[in-house]
Amino acid sequence: MEKKRKTNKVDKLLEFPKEVYSNEPKIAVTGFDELIIENFKGILEYEEFFVRINTYIGIININGYNLNLENMTNDDLKVKGKIESIEFERIID
Amino acid sequence: MFIKIIFSYILGFLKVSIEGYYIERFINICKNKKITIWNLKRNSGISLLLNVRVKEFKEVCKIAKKMGCKIKIKSKKGLPFLLNRYKKRKIFIILLLFVAITIAISSNFVWNVDILIDNNENLENIREDIENAGLKTGKLKSKISTKEIINKIRLEREDIAWMGIELKGTNAIVKLVKADEKPEIVDKNEYCNIVSNKTGIITKINVQEGTANVKVGDTIKTGDILINGWMEGKFTGIRYVHARGEIEAKVWYTKNRKIPYKLTDTEYTGEEENKYRIKFGNFEINFSKKYSKFKIYDTIETENKIRLFSDLYLPISIVKTTYKEKKEVKKSYTVEETKNIGIKELEEELEKEIENKDNIVNKNINTYEEEDGVQVYVTYEVLENIGTNEKIVF
Repeated sequence: MEKKRKTNKVDKLLEFPKEVYSNEPKIAVTGFDELIIENFKGILEYEEFFVRINTYIGIININGYNLNLENMTNDDLKVKGKIESIEFERIID
Repeated sequence: MFIKIIFSYILGFLKVSIEGYYIERFINICKNKKITIWNLKRNSGISLLLNVRVKEFKEVCKIAKKMGCKIKIKSKKGLPFLLNRYKKRKIFIILLLFVAITIAISSNFVWNVDILIDNNENLENIREDIENAGLKTGKLKSKISTKEIINKIRLEREDIAWMGIELKGTNAIVKLVKADEKPEIVDKNEYCNIVSNKTGIITKINVQEGTANVKVGDTIKTGDILINGWMEGKFTGIRYVHARGEIEAKVWYTKNRKIPYKLTDTEYTGEEENKYRIKFGNFEINFSKKYSKFKIYDTIETENKIRLFSDLYLPISIVKTTYKEKKEVKKSYTVEETKNIGIKELEEELEKEIENKDNIVNKNINTYEEEDGVQVYVTYEVLENIGTNEKIVF
């Protein structure tokens, strides 16, 4: 962890985007119908009304209906559908 | 991602439905193995719809078997499957190829020769000369050497100042500029008189060589000698020359006609009939009966060459013939109207005959009424150069 903090300082100085150097996910919501998550680990649950996505710092729950996983590559995921709520579950060290 | 999907459309992809309990695990494994899957859709229940590329489908099958999922192909999409479908329709493909090949072959020929002459002047027989020189419809484009053709035609004809041939698609455009006529070379050793070729009154005499035989105001007939081809000096005696000079005279053009009061005129009724036929060279296909249903009619033919794109002419043309119905109308005019009609007709005819309209000096119109019509006389007084050369015969 110590090593990471050192690199963090350098990266802050250079103003790197956070999702590039860390494992923290970036969640981008466009409108109420589209959501893109970068840096995700995997999918824990997938139903039409509920998607549970695992990331390195916790779990993201998405509630809604007609939820589709539009495209899935190695590091980003696009969820489309009527999104009603987004919840986070932190992993407490 | 969008580009990826287009790419996978070219390579072909499958719409697959998966049924089972461990669908999330299936997705994660796919992700870890870097298999691209997209458009995941959860059907109500336990099935999942997704798209996979054809190449990766085998691996997906393996994973699904491990998970204990049932896998089903819903539909196949993409170019490979589309082409596969047309494999069975052999005649369709053969015809498609045939059409493509015929177009490719026919685009190597010249199918249309346009001749553009500068200032819309007309050159006689130019089309035949160009054909004889080697530029014909239906000739291979590669065998046409424009330089050779231009040389040939320019050697043959002297009335062309410039010529250019442009091959555009299947279209050959020939541009021509007409040359001015060669000036006449006066042969001074040939003695001649100038003789009048019209009847009139002389208004101006300008002799350059020779002796004038007439004076201003003289009336002359055709055949009278205007300028004699000899000169007389005090000491030299009579010397024969080639007479040159200009003689201007008033010349009359008259025309008369009897116009009856009752005229039968033809008028368009406004009804039209269109007929089409297709033409391949000299071979024609008619789409309808050849004769029109009208009794009296005018025919107008227009030919349209079929072309692909802007320049690629095909050797096929559609000929459209329009028949315009006419009908005879008997009209009776008053005296004034008949006079006007007669004067108008005659004036038009006379003006066609006279070359230079600026030289018209006077116009004379006489009308005589008769029982069944009007006699119209129209006379134009015109200033003209008269005189032609005539050899002196000793």
